[in-house]
Amino acid sequence: MRERFLTGYNDFVLPFVCGMLFVLIYCLVGMIRIIMQLPAQDRKRFFISLVTPKTMAKNIKDIFLKCLIHVDLWKRNKLLGYMHSSIAFGWFMLILVGHIEVLLYTSNLGAKALYYPIFFRYFVAETESTMKGSLIFFLMDFFLLIVLSGIALAMIKRIRSRIFGMRRTTNPSFLDLVGLYSLWAIFPLRLLAESFTADISGGSFLTKSLNYVFTEFLSNHANMLPAWWAYSCALGVFFFVLPFSRYMHIPTEILLIPLRNAGIRIVNARKGLAKAQVYSCPGCGLCIDACPMGVLKGNIKDTTVYLNRQIRRNNEARIEEISDKCLLCGKCTAVCPVGVEGDRLRIAQRSVRKYNFGPDYSNIDSLKEAENCNKFVINSNNIVSSSDNEKVLYFAGCMTALTPVIREKTVSILEKAGIEYEFMDKDGGLCCGRPMLMAGRLEQAAQLVEKNTEIIMNSGADTLLLSCPICYRIFRENYSLPGIEVIHHTEYFERLVFSGRIRVSKGNTKYVFHDPCELGRGCGVYEQPRNVISAAGELVEAARNRKESICCGGSLGSLTLGFDKRKAMTENALANLTAASPDRIVTACPLCMSTFGRYSDRPVEDIAQVLDRCSVPGRL
Amino acid sequence: MKENIVIIGGGIAGMEAASRLLDLGYKPIIIEKSGRLGGHVAEWNRLFPDMTPASDVVNALTARSSEANIFLNTEISFVNKLKDSYNIMLSNGISIITKIILVTTGFSLFDAAKKEEYGYGIYDQVITNKDLEHWFNTGDDARVSNCGMNAVGFVHCVGSRDEKARNSQCSKVCCITAVKQAIELKQKFPDAMVYCFYMDLRMFGKKYEDFYISAQRDYGVRFIRGRVSEVSENIDGRVIVKAEDTLSGKPVKVTLDLLVLMAGMVCNPDSTRVANMASLPVDSDGFLKSRDNIADIIDSPKDGVFYAGACTGPKTVPETLAEARAAALRIHLYIKGME
Repeated sequence: MRERFLTGYNDFVLPFVCGMLFVLIYCLVGMIRIIMQLPAQDRKRFFISLVTPKTMAKNIKDIFLKCLIHVDLWKRNKLLGYMHSSIAFGWFMLILVGHIEVLLYTSNLGAKALYYPIFFRYFVAETESTMKGSLIFFLMDFFLLIVLSGIALAMIKRIRSRIFGMRRTTNPSFLDLVGLYSLWAIFPLRLLAESFTADISGGSFLTKSLNYVFTEFLSNHANMLPAWWAYSCALGVFFFVLPFSRYMHIPTEILLIPLRNAGIRIVNARKGLAKAQVYSCPGCGLCIDACPMGVLKGNIKDTTVYLNRQIRRNNEARIEEISDKCLLCGKCTAVCPVGVEGDRLRIAQRSVRKYNFGPDYSNIDSLKEAENCNKFVINSNNIVSSSDNEKVLYFAGCMTALTPVIREKTVSILEKAGIEYEFMDKDGGLCCGRPMLMAGRLEQAAQLVEKNTEIIMNSGADTLLLSCPICYRIFRENYSLPGIEVIHHTEYFERLVFSGRIRVSKGNTKYVFHDPCELGRGCGVYEQPRNVISAAGELVEAARNRKESICCGGSLGSLTLGFDKRKAMTENALANLTAASPDRIVTACPLCMSTFGRYSDRPVEDIAQVLDRCSVPGRL
Repeated sequence: MKENIVIIGGGIAGMEAASRLLDLGYKPIIIEKSGRLGGHVAEWNRLFPDMTPASDVVNALTARSSEANIFLNTEISFVNKLKDSYNIMLSNGISIITKIILVTTGFSLFDAAKKEEYGYGIYDQVITNKDLEHWFNTGDDARVSNCGMNAVGFVHCVGSRDEKARNSQCSKVCCITAVKQAIELKQKFPDAMVYCFYMDLRMFGKKYEDFYISAQRDYGVRFIRGRVSEVSENIDGRVIVKAEDTLSGKPVKVTLDLLVLMAGMVCNPDSTRVANMASLPVDSDGFLKSRDNIADIIDSPKDGVFYAGACTGPKTVPETLAEARAAALRIHLYIKGME
């Protein structure tokens, strides 16, 4: 290869160079701001994670797999996965191979390094020795073809998203559209521009053949410069709108992945990690189909993708509306390919709201409350231990108090298994704090957490048993109970069944298990309830289950959703559950149970009811 | 007069209408799905506000309507619309061709087990208003101890005015029934504390307000304004009720020997079945829809089909009887109009 021009410069590179410098500076400033906004402790943690080999390797792996290959999308839909990875990975390879090519064939780069890798073919001419680079020529054309195929699929997707497994997609904003069309334009224009110079600077199967086929037009070198100008302009336009469109997700995600791997949580509603998540949103709209509120068309604009957009626009009225409406089922978080936490983001928005007054729990006498459940203890230091049996403290929670059958059956199972247990809230107890946390009233939640911790630590128990997943989640995430195992009754029942403490007789009733949001997506408990049900009868699966289970509609999460609006969601969730025509619907959450019970055409039960009916005491 | 008149339902509305039609010289046919006449009223002990024995009312009606053709233990298999009449096929194989149908299918009692937080069917000491009347009648209910009742509670509006129970309507009679039952329990157990947990007291009828004042003044029944939040059971089997006293703004917690749930009136699934067979419209509350809720409450939108009683919404006994009489007259005029 030899350079065609002494200066190695042409004016057409200017749009690209300006755009690229703008984006680089914008992203650098943005990145520094986000890191500076992190709480000092988190920032330190972040820097340490960056130099820890384990997280370092994970960061590189995640960035490669998520940003370039889009593995999550491949798992969802092959075509959708191919479309995204062909554009991202193909483009990345074009840049990479472009740089290698430039490094191989030129010396004294200097300022030319800014644009040579992109416009290399304009500035060089083929020489005899170039045949050695035919592999690079081939790779460049090959990856260009890959990207072009992705672009073609993207165009089809805008018209028929269903082929890609998406019922609904996001309504793009104006700048999103500008970015979209410029992105679409970049690669065909590159093909055109490189085809013009293919007879000078060489090319492979794509560019060279095109040059031969349209030889009349493409060999006319007078047409060459406009094509290169157009290519550069498309790039320039794309880079200039990038920070203000959804394409900001490309650079931001590279920052979000290490932040997440460092184990950082959202603290501030708009700054730090929250900001990184909001800007990482690619606006793909997978959350729109996932959202259980989507059964009512009017709620589509209240999904996470639109929340992110409104946060970027600082549209406070809409942010409040969207944040308050959400059921916090966490399904958008579960399906999000970049890891935007829609539920936590909304709780953070709720937490910045100012209230004139709020309940104050600091004067609750936790020692007095503890008296009700410290039967394991005679005095403060003397633990009654009749045997080496585990001492189970059962916290039913307020939702179970409203569905007393769960408490009754759970106790019956504990009796059968011969467990030493005590109630924590038989005669009234404190709230676990999760409803306050969901409402964004973090201070009140913290007060309740503190009081309950005192009660539990004074009880002398070594296991805390919960039958409500709402309680379970906050006990797992926000409580610190050293020496005490926190366990949900589904997990505990599985242990009782498989350790032989109770014996289960298998019937032929067909059950379907509904994964409660807080238990499944919230705490990752999927297998244990299924194992218990499979022991008691035939288990069938819902159309969408586990991570993609549909919220019953009764969630405490929503602050504004009316009762009439929730009905459609419950009916939709029921239709999903009864796809395999089970005899009974089983769940493990008192709130799901009463919500489904209202509209279901078949019995809705808690797992405790199923197990109690099918079990007898086992060998001790 | 040989015009067939089919009355669907042998409760008080059906019997009253039949007896009036007999007076007018017709020979109506009563179709009753159970083995006896009298419907819900026959299961009641005494009626407010004068403590009239329910059996007096039912017996008088049974005597007056005995000349009618009565099919007991009979259901309707299907209804065919002919050109200007209906062909009704009964479950005993008889088919009737008629131009006139009077629907008196009444209501169903709300299933109190659906309000699980009140513990009906889970705790032994929780019963419904109907169970209590049954105990008044027979004295036979293991859940109600015959001796030594210290504290009793009544929960108003169970399944009424409750969107979450899918019934937004007021059942009208439960407020006054609770007052009546509270007085009756107080008569049986003068030393017992009796609490009524209510959200509104709707004392709309003749002498209801006097009855309510008397319950407070003469019997010492305690009325607490606030809904019950949850019910639990303590070790000796008594029920603990938690509620909020919204007048004093304080939570209340009482331990009771018996909790009575005032289950409300909901549409009768049999009414819905009849409505489907005869293509009659159903209103948003699930009850049958009249042609007009003010002027034509006993007329259905279909010619020759009439309503009386609680099939169009919750009603008291006198209201039901008045509607049955109006329906009898309306049918008489309708037949005159046909001739």
